[in-house]
Amino acid sequence: MSRRLPPRRRLTRPQWAISVGLGLAVIGFVGAAQWNSSLARTEFITSAQRVLISEAEQAQRQQETLGAEIEAADERVQAFQEQDAGSQAALQALNDELAAARLAGGLDEVRGPGLVMEIADSIRPVPEGESGTPYLVLADDLRDIVTALWASGAEAITIAGGGSDRIDAERVAATTSIDGAGNAILVNEARLTPPYRIEAIGADGLLDRFLTNPTYLSRVARRIEVYGLQFAHEARDEVTLPAFIGNTRMRWGAPVSESDD
Amino acid sequence: MAGRIAQISLFVVAGIIGILLVGQLRSQAPAIELSTLSAQELSQLIETVSSRNVELSDALADLREQIRSYELAEVQGQSTLDLTESELERIAAFGGLRPVEGQGVILTVAGPFDATAVNDLVYELRGAGAEAIAVDDIRITAPSVATLGTGVIEIDGTPLGPTIEIRAIGSPDGLESTLRRPGGLLTLLEQSIDAQFQIEQRTDLELPATRRDLAPQAARPVE
Repeated sequence: MSRRLPPRRRLTRPQWAISVGLGLAVIGFVGAAQWNSSLARTEFITSAQRVLISEAEQAQRQQETLGAEIEAADERVQAFQEQDAGSQAALQALNDELAAARLAGGLDEVRGPGLVMEIADSIRPVPEGESGTPYLVLADDLRDIVTALWASGAEAITIAGGGSDRIDAERVAATTSIDGAGNAILVNEARLTPPYRIEAIGADGLLDRFLTNPTYLSRVARRIEVYGLQFAHEARDEVTLPAFIGNTRMRWGAPVSESDD
Repeated sequence: MAGRIAQISLFVVAGIIGILLVGQLRSQAPAIELSTLSAQELSQLIETVSSRNVELSDALADLREQIRSYELAEVQGQSTLDLTESELERIAAFGGLRPVEGQGVILTVAGPFDATAVNDLVYELRGAGAEAIAVDDIRITAPSVATLGTGVIEIDGTPLGPTIEIRAIGSPDGLESTLRRPGGLLTLLEQSIDAQFQIEQRTDLELPATRRDLAPQAARPVE
């Protein structure tokens, strides 16, 4: 027994003409909006600002290049350290100690269980007559999050900006500063913009311990509730965090070597 | 034939609408672009990024110098163990595993300060370029934070007294001027918690190594 297929539906001329007409109208509307917004943006940039923007972009590009060059040079140094021609036993002991110091100082890429969280400026409208500053993520918020994470047993932490992935993440080390700079935050003096992504490695239950930590509860959690800062978090079985990239040499001091003790 | 033309037309129109909508949505996204910053903010940004670039350039120059030293030792058939030993000292000092000495400031704090004030002071000193910090006799490492223990403030499990001494190695002038800047953290703390501060520049600071075990349990290096 065979069933006849229903005849194929076809668009009749008036139907497709209407659809195309509607589509062209939408294109016209969206195109005009694009044109207007790009005009508005360029209209208020002065020539002095343009020069400064170009300088800032150049400085940021230079920062990225320097970071990549440091990583490559560091790898070469490590390769030399692993292939010394002297005593293999002494070399092994020294390299083990060096590896432990690098790991403890945040100078190695690390992997382990942990968490990912993101915090961003509030999208609530700022009430008239009120300052908009508390509705933004501030350096204090990131400092408190980092403090609460360390106090909860985190072993490694990174902060990235602009929702970017870990390539732009800054590893928190012993000298790491977190400071406000206009509407951005400087971490290790690298300029990050919201949303801020914080990743941490720690033993199981890190997220639960963080969410009940007094430093988190007393300031950040309160600001999230009162000002509507956007905040999301998730425990992860595994996260990978990059190494600290920066200057590790002291300019104003020096290590006291073990023989001096 | 008319049906085919209709399909192609609809496909093209839908494609253009999609591209334009994505462009429009992206331009409306609240990303902070350099063009939204004022001239003053841009100048500050350039200054900060440039100062970081100087730091990174110094770090790169150090690494290149190390590479040259290793290459030279290799050519001459010498052992490079001593080079690696000095590298170990530098890295261990950076992480807080070795005692360090040098110049900087001593900041003495008295009054009803809390754990947050201690952490803020540490961050203030780091922001001012401190290369190593100790609070009382506790060397500050990355995970060393002040917390409220059983009724007392503690760092790395060691309780702090009612008066604390923070020693920071770095540019003495740079550290002091940052601490004393008008409207800075010290002014804020003097007003908000009635704390008293004394700053002294020193050329003979000694900071101990950390007593904390920094070997991670959950984090492992990526090979």
